[in-house]
Amino acid sequence: MSYEEDIRQDTIRQFDFLKDSFKVIRPRRLSAEVARDRFSEVFDFLVHREKFNTLCTITGTDEGDDLGFIYHLAREGGITLNLKTRAPKADPVIRTITAVFPGAEIYEREIVDLFGARVEGLRKGSRYPLTDDWPADEHPLRKDWKSEENK
Amino acid sequence: MHNSHEHEHEFKIPLGPQHPALKEPESFSIALKGEKILGVDIRLGYNHRGIEKACEERTFLQDVYLLERICGICSHSHSTAYVQAVEEIAGLAVPPRALYIRTLIGELERVHSHFLWLGVAGHEIGFDTLLMYTWRDREIVMDLLAQLTGNRVNYGINTIGGVRRDITPEQGKDILAGVATLEERTKYYIQIATEETTIVKRLSGVGIISKEDALRLGAVGPTARASGVDRDIRREDPYAAYAELDFDVITDDHCDVYGRTVVRLKELMESFKIIRQIVAKIPDGPIAVRAPRKIPAGEAFSRYEAPRGEDVHYVESNGGEKPERVKVRAPTLANVQTVKHMLKDRFLADMPIVVAAIDPCFSCTDRMVGVRHLDGGKKETMAWESLRSFSLGWHRARGFDVAIAEKKLHNLIKTQKSPA
Amino acid sequence: MKFIRKIINWARIKSPWILHFNSGACNACDIEIVAALTPLYDVERFGVQLKGTPRHADVLVCSGPVTKQIQDRLKRIYDQMPEPKFVVAVGACACGGGVFKGCYNVRGGIDEVIPVSAYIPGCPAGPKAIIDGVVKLLASLEETEKPSVPGAKKQDKTEDDAGTAKQADPGDAP
Repeated sequence: MSYEEDIRQDTIRQFDFLKDSFKVIRPRRLSAEVARDRFSEVFDFLVHREKFNTLCTITGTDEGDDLGFIYHLAREGGITLNLKTRAPKADPVIRTITAVFPGAEIYEREIVDLFGARVEGLRKGSRYPLTDDWPADEHPLRKDWKSEENK
Repeated sequence: MHNSHEHEHEFKIPLGPQHPALKEPESFSIALKGEKILGVDIRLGYNHRGIEKACEERTFLQDVYLLERICGICSHSHSTAYVQAVEEIAGLAVPPRALYIRTLIGELERVHSHFLWLGVAGHEIGFDTLLMYTWRDREIVMDLLAQLTGNRVNYGINTIGGVRRDITPEQGKDILAGVATLEERTKYYIQIATEETTIVKRLSGVGIISKEDALRLGAVGPTARASGVDRDIRREDPYAAYAELDFDVITDDHCDVYGRTVVRLKELMESFKIIRQIVAKIPDGPIAVRAPRKIPAGEAFSRYEAPRGEDVHYVESNGGEKPERVKVRAPTLANVQTVKHMLKDRFLADMPIVVAAIDPCFSCTDRMVGVRHLDGGKKETMAWESLRSFSLGWHRARGFDVAIAEKKLHNLIKTQKSPA
Repeated sequence: MKFIRKIINWARIKSPWILHFNSGACNACDIEIVAALTPLYDVERFGVQLKGTPRHADVLVCSGPVTKQIQDRLKRIYDQMPEPKFVVAVGACACGGGVFKGCYNVRGGIDEVIPVSAYIPGCPAGPKAIIDGVVKLLASLEETEKPSVPGAKKQDKTEDDAGTAKQADPGDAP
């Protein structure tokens, strides 16, 4: 069995509800989807037990009624895992992962600015990447946002 | 004009009175206690253009040429990382010859980038002769790239499904000749960097980050490898033609600016090795397959070892002509987060070379540095130029004399056989 | 050739000082601007020197599509330059936004914020095109006394040169 399959088996043994969403896409590419309320435990397991000790970045997405968050994790052997979760736009809150990955701070700030997410536990600091005088309720990467020129 | 030893606590304000009405954040905010840096805040975003949004409003193919222009130093890195993702979603079988050509351009880009960095690093410590020589040598690569692709920068070599231009045996010969000269020059730079004691001392013990911290903070590329982190995307997540090529991943255990210098210099030697293999082994065949205008629904995560480190692109298609989502994380965004750590408890005069040593993909030259003195509460603003001048004066006052290294480099180059 | 001699002599006497500013560019043009100063291209033989402060600069050489973060500083730097002053927009972005035209965080060309004396196109503008543009600008300074920023107060001079921005040959710059 490949490493990728090993990781999959380990993880779904621990979390039965991931059985259908945890996929080996191809060598070195894994993907899984988890509900917001189970995110922390799955994340901790993958980082500490399955040794995904690198966070490449966090991608925000606009899923209509929800905001999507893809945590791109990586480990030795070049194996990456896209761990996805969602939060409704009515309550776009996620918890910070900066205690585990300090470098996540800038990726979390980016999602706050560009998608309007709220990240619980993120320390106070400068926003990124928009200017301080950017209007509070405008989030450029949301699908319904259009720049002046494109309206 | 600028600070000598006795004036080191007086910071000049070179751009006149501050206008409180003009909101323009400082790029670097330093809290200084006495001479030591207690805290660093970095504010990025001044070159945020809105590229990811623009990608959704252009076709997949147009985005190749847009993303190439994220950064003019590692443009091929972004272009390739992106097309790889799109090709994976579309299930395209890119011809081997195209993969070799992509790899060739990528390594030539690494060479130009590392030579550029050497010059910039030299400039930050007052070693301008190094800047002049390395940028002169770099012109050899720029000429090769222009010859192969039609442009010195922003090569436009990639298309979805392959590359747009082939290479000829004649060009292969020119590449080998260019590489031979560059390799000889690189050996001189290695000599200066590792054997000239003034330079070794100047770069050692500065900008330290342990292996554990490098991993924890997410450092990538030469910055991470200089702290013993044995990671290189070309080896562990091979793309393009790397799985078929023989090269070493360079690591170093110094964990400082000196280590970062050595890693880049030795990586140059590996790049020359790779380039020679490509010219010798490049398979025959077509250089592209046709790509559909509409890319089937799907997603892909692509990683590329750019000169500065891991570059990642995530692409999602909804089955249309334009991407649903394009996400880019350039290597500097990962590395810049280590700078705070590297500067803690260090001298302000260390800042220029420490920042330069992560090889940042942003121009420092216009960045304002805000310095807040915790003793006394004074706050001043310096332009990067002033910070550099201050740093040069500070090190000069402590015995660093770049003239010795300059003379040595002049002599080394003068005694070489092949002309410029 | 006589014309070039004239320019070189003029530049050596006048020795224009250049301030280089990046308004949010990808760095390609900036590297080429600096490359113009290094041994192979060497614009210093025309008497041009790179300086650090706007208060001593004659010419502002500017790259980039002017992001919203940087526009105020660009204006401030321009205001701090003493008359007579000239602005050179280097690269497609500085000329009119380039590939980033329409992106939500960019203003567009340099001339959205400050007046421009000369436009050097290219993506990036190569060192040869940059030198060509600088030489053409110097030539236009030779013909009109001062100043050559459009809209600024000027002396009575040749009509055809009044306020006209010079354009460099794309020439060697692909």
